[in-house]
Amino acid sequence: MDKLIISNLSKTYDNGIKALQNVSLEISTGMFGLLGPNGAGKSTLMRTLATLQDADEGSIKLGNVDVTNQKNEIRKVLGYLPQQFGVYPKISAEMLLNHLAVLKGIVNKKERKNLIESLLHKVNLYNARKQNLGGFSGGMKQRFGIAQALLNNPKLLIVDEPTAGLDPKERNRFYNLLSEIGENTIVILSTHIVDDVKELCTNMAIIDKGIVVLKGNPLELINNLEGKIYKKTIQKEELEQYQKEYTIINQKLFLGKPMIHILSKKKPENGFISMKSGLESVYFSKIKN
Amino acid sequence: MLLEIIKFEVFYRLKRPETYLFFGVLFLFSIVGVDFVFQGVEIGMVQKNAPLVIAKTMGAITGIFMIMASMIMGVPILRDFQHQTEPLLFSTTLTKRDYIFGRFLGSFMILLFVFSGVLFGMILGSQMPWHKANEMQVFKIVSYTKPFAIIVLPSLFFGACLFFVTGMLSKKLLVVYTQGIVLFVVFMTTKAIKNEYIQAILDPFSLTTLTKFTENWSVFEKNTFQISMANEVLYNKLFWILLGLIVLFIGYKKFSFNTYFKKSKSTKNDGSNLNTVSIVDKITIPRFSIDYNFKTQIIQFFELSKFYTKQLLKENSFWGIVICGIIIIIINFVNLGTVYGVDSYPETYFIVGELQETSFYFFIIILIFYSGELIWKEQNLKFNLIYDATSISDFNRIVSKFIALNLIYIVLLFSLILSGILFQITCGYYHFEISVYFSGFFLEIFPFLILYTFVAFFFQSISNHKFIGVLFFILFFIVDVGLEVVGFKHSFYNFGGKSLDTYSEMNGYGHFLKPYLFIKIYWFLFGLILLIISSLLSLRGTENSLLKRIKSIKKSISKPVKISLISLVFLFLSLGIFIFYNTNIINEYWTKNEQIAYRVSYEKTLKIFEYINQPKIIDVNLNLDLFPSKRAYKVDGFYILKNTSDSIINEIHLQQKIASHIKLEKVTFENGAIKNDNYKKFHYTIYQLNKNLQPGDSIKMSFIQSYFPKGFEDENFNTVIVNNGTFFNNQEFPTLGYNKKYELKDKDERIKYNLQPRLNKANITDKNELLNARSGGDANGINLEMIIGTSSNQTAITSGNLLRKWSANNRNYFHYKTLKPIINFYAIVSGKYQFKKDIWQSKKDLSKPVSLAIYHHPKHNYNTDRMLKSMKTSLDYFSKNFSEYQYQQLEIMEFPRYADFAQSFPNAIPFSESMGFVLDIDDEKDVDMVFYITAHEIAHQWFGMQVEAANVQGKNFILETLAQYAALMVFKNTYSEKKVKQFLDFQKELYLKNVKKSKTVEPTLALVENQDNVYYNKGVLAMYIFQQKVGEKKVNLALQNFLKDWNSIDGIKKQQTKRYATSSDLLEYFRAVTPKEAQPLIKTFFESNEELPEF
Repeated sequence: MDKLIISNLSKTYDNGIKALQNVSLEISTGMFGLLGPNGAGKSTLMRTLATLQDADEGSIKLGNVDVTNQKNEIRKVLGYLPQQFGVYPKISAEMLLNHLAVLKGIVNKKERKNLIESLLHKVNLYNARKQNLGGFSGGMKQRFGIAQALLNNPKLLIVDEPTAGLDPKERNRFYNLLSEIGENTIVILSTHIVDDVKELCTNMAIIDKGIVVLKGNPLELINNLEGKIYKKTIQKEELEQYQKEYTIINQKLFLGKPMIHILSKKKPENGFISMKSGLESVYFSKIKN
Repeated sequence: MLLEIIKFEVFYRLKRPETYLFFGVLFLFSIVGVDFVFQGVEIGMVQKNAPLVIAKTMGAITGIFMIMASMIMGVPILRDFQHQTEPLLFSTTLTKRDYIFGRFLGSFMILLFVFSGVLFGMILGSQMPWHKANEMQVFKIVSYTKPFAIIVLPSLFFGACLFFVTGMLSKKLLVVYTQGIVLFVVFMTTKAIKNEYIQAILDPFSLTTLTKFTENWSVFEKNTFQISMANEVLYNKLFWILLGLIVLFIGYKKFSFNTYFKKSKSTKNDGSNLNTVSIVDKITIPRFSIDYNFKTQIIQFFELSKFYTKQLLKENSFWGIVICGIIIIIINFVNLGTVYGVDSYPETYFIVGELQETSFYFFIIILIFYSGELIWKEQNLKFNLIYDATSISDFNRIVSKFIALNLIYIVLLFSLILSGILFQITCGYYHFEISVYFSGFFLEIFPFLILYTFVAFFFQSISNHKFIGVLFFILFFIVDVGLEVVGFKHSFYNFGGKSLDTYSEMNGYGHFLKPYLFIKIYWFLFGLILLIISSLLSLRGTENSLLKRIKSIKKSISKPVKISLISLVFLFLSLGIFIFYNTNIINEYWTKNEQIAYRVSYEKTLKIFEYINQPKIIDVNLNLDLFPSKRAYKVDGFYILKNTSDSIINEIHLQQKIASHIKLEKVTFENGAIKNDNYKKFHYTIYQLNKNLQPGDSIKMSFIQSYFPKGFEDENFNTVIVNNGTFFNNQEFPTLGYNKKYELKDKDERIKYNLQPRLNKANITDKNELLNARSGGDANGINLEMIIGTSSNQTAITSGNLLRKWSANNRNYFHYKTLKPIINFYAIVSGKYQFKKDIWQSKKDLSKPVSLAIYHHPKHNYNTDRMLKSMKTSLDYFSKNFSEYQYQQLEIMEFPRYADFAQSFPNAIPFSESMGFVLDIDDEKDVDMVFYITAHEIAHQWFGMQVEAANVQGKNFILETLAQYAALMVFKNTYSEKKVKQFLDFQKELYLKNVKKSKTVEPTLALVENQDNVYYNKGVLAMYIFQQKVGEKKVNLALQNFLKDWNSIDGIKKQQTKRYATSSDLLEYFRAVTPKEAQPLIKTFFESNEELPEF
């Protein structure tokens, strides 16, 4: 199977924001998670991969195909589900899929019909296939989105923040679908939800302010931090003091009081309790607030 | 809070670039506003910055740019919904009242700012150097501010209310775009209202209102009086302001402040069923193959075109536009091809013409808006990221949408055809000419639409926003038209070329079609190039900058596209060269300035020869070969020239007709002559005779002239020598001396080139022109003999008796000869004719019978009986009351509708296709204009053929007014008094309508120049009342005596004075028959400008 190789990709917008800085990644078949806070450059990277915009520097290759210069070659094997998208409100799911199938080059009528039918089954929209898209709920729309992304049996599937607005049940179903596809497709999933990656991805990268700050296998990354994370519930006024003394990677409220997580090689004294490392810790250890 | 909202709205708008763009467009447009709005409208002596003119211009500009008001007022509420900020807003403490009125008032202030561009633009425009001093008055600021306040503000207020409310309630941008048009429809609808007063009240832009308001104002008043809020204007404005308030009130009531929350979600079925989750995994996606080959592209192309067509047909707004169109068309169908108040039969070409005219505006709207809508469809739905990432080719993306829009045109064109046919059926007319329908729409309209769609697609593709695309397109349109106005009008660089010339039932599209098609193909190729470029530049992905898109063309262009682009450019250039070769190399192309310079130079060089002593033509003998299918002729013949003066003539000045491809050869004189070619540029040759021509002596001049057009021209097609229905007169052949008709006529241009003012008619005492019956009169009476050869399916006719006709070499020949001298004015006509013949016998026993004939297009036999009846009745009346008819035949010949007149020549009357052959006369309600026009032309056999008038002021009083009188007398003796009154009422209406347009002080009938409303319409009224007061018999007696004394053959006065008759001569005869007490009437009617009494 071909690998997607991203080398030294950089992009600066006209307003001066550096969306990507020297991003290099190597992605092979399977689920790849791209994690990062809002505005980290995930969508820019995704859109660049989806041929929708050009980077200033660097290259992207899928096997032998150069994404920047052979856009239409990539589009042939590309499935893309954007973070936000609209639909024709007055036509049915079936018809719009048909339209998209034509756009993607599936011109044999019979094949197209069978394909759309099975995809509708697969994303569980078969019963709603005649319904106008205008009446779809967020979850249904998202499932429609994945169906359209799968239309051309893509080798590269890009899904940008797919679970935003889905309820937990829908999210699960969605993940099942993705991981199945991931068996023989490169699936790139961008998200800011740490759990998504943990549950699904065999590989991942964390991106912040346009820079890849960490890449690797989620389990290994978690293991690397094992035994180095401690937590403690403190008083609000003490926060400043602790910030000076420890590397705080996370702070949240626990029963109304601040609880801090710190990263430390040896066990600190004064009431810190060791805690299990998780992907969240990995994530927060890399993201500077 | 209200204040806050207003402030927010105003500041928000002031930051938006389109606010300034709109202002700028209005400002710039208004600079040329008066010139644009009043282009081609005769405002007579009213000045260009008179309050009325300013008011009307402001009203018109407001109407034209109402769509901007719609774009400004329609969006403020819509914006919140589009940005989905309305839940935030509505859940604050903001009240509905503050919200709605805040947005409304804020936007209205911006609207006022934008439209103040009209005020400032027009003020600046009045200071522009192109105005002529005599057209302008002293600048008065109040002439601008007052109409702005009275006319523009209320219109804007109404528009603002309407647009704001519809935008707010519909929440659709497209509705906002189209509602400006709806208001225009209302405007058009008011035009169809018969009652002028109601029309004036209802006109949303107050144009009719102003016309009505100032109806009885004199020119002086129009120039000085300010428009005030009174009468019609007041009621009109009150009506629309009130309506605006009502709309606003209803909108306010209807708008639900909780709209967002109330929005019903139709998601009853979630479409999922948890039980099926396990099944999901088991589903395998069937295998399929994608071949990215040419065939795939073709299928994609068809499928996508179908898809987009369906999408367009689903748009409510589209059907809105269509329904408006239908309403207007129905309104406008009512009168077709009206000639002097009488409608024509619903012949297909009339229907087509009418439909073309009314549907045009709607096509333009559909073109502009739906090209934007299609290109930005995915963007608007936020579907673009998915769409852009599919593997569809750049080219197919654009072309399928392009085709979809064109398919829509086709659907509309077919429905137009259908409605035309339905209309004909309702009129009980069943000669449907489907081919005329098709050519009218698919040959004339469709190519235009295709070409401009290319342009619209191009501008939409290169811009980043639909708005900008539309503006670019409109700008292009204006520049394109502007170039034409400035004089750059060659089809070679004027986008799209010209429209197809008149369709005639006799001659079809004739020779216009070929150049038209070549030029359309040329621009079509250009359009294809644009389309490919559009596909390469169109926005795909999120890269907005045009520069980047241009740079990335290199990457995105595929080989086949590159090859097609290069071949298209090559074809485009080759065809361009071919067209240029035809129009500018084998034909001459004259720009407007070149033409003017030539005319100036003609006059400056040759004017010295005007009135030099020349012989008169006394015999004309021609052998004319017409080649209708080639639109060519060759003529071989001679003139006999006689020195009728008292002095010796030694040079002959010969003027060949100035036109391309005319060749005058072998001009020879008896005894020889030396040719002086100094004025070759003007085709003016002076022959120095070897032997002087003594007074009373004659000389024979032979010549050969040919006309063989080559290739095709860009404009100014010759429409007199055509495939079927050739009609030209002897002006085609060489004339003697300086020819005034080549002089520059435009008054202002003449001043610019230092030329003396040109009189329309010479002064009544002008010694030279008293000797001429026509400008440059080179004969006093001729004998004509002509053999005309024409194609085997045509009949050729000229003045004189037909001595013989025969066929040889698959051609028809006709030999004509006059028995008595005729005036030197004869026509040659040739066409595929059917004819109707009859005989008329004068009551006087000795005279020979006169053969009557009507030569007409086979289909046009509707009114031939009326013509024939008119011929007989007229001959009866004129020969009884005036004098004997002088010829042995009288013929009417139909010619194509390239010109709208009938004209009398000795015993022959060419009659235009459009002048009565297809009139649908209802004797109940109409005046039989066919009968009348025929009688009028026959009257010219007396007034024009028997007696000629001197070529000075009052000439047309003798020729036209008397012909009008004579025709009316025949009409009066045939039809009821009611009909006569109906006719006269209509004449009066025509007369008064033109009085308002007149640029000069109205002359008296006796001194009338070229003012046709005076010599036709006022003339007939004056003569009618005159005969009422003095008696028909007495007037006829006067005319009888006038003819006897002044006729060109043996009139005593004519021979004594050696000059032609003038209006003063005629009035002498009137005085002679008028009783003493009625004598002052002559002065009142004919020698003054006093108002005529009622008839």
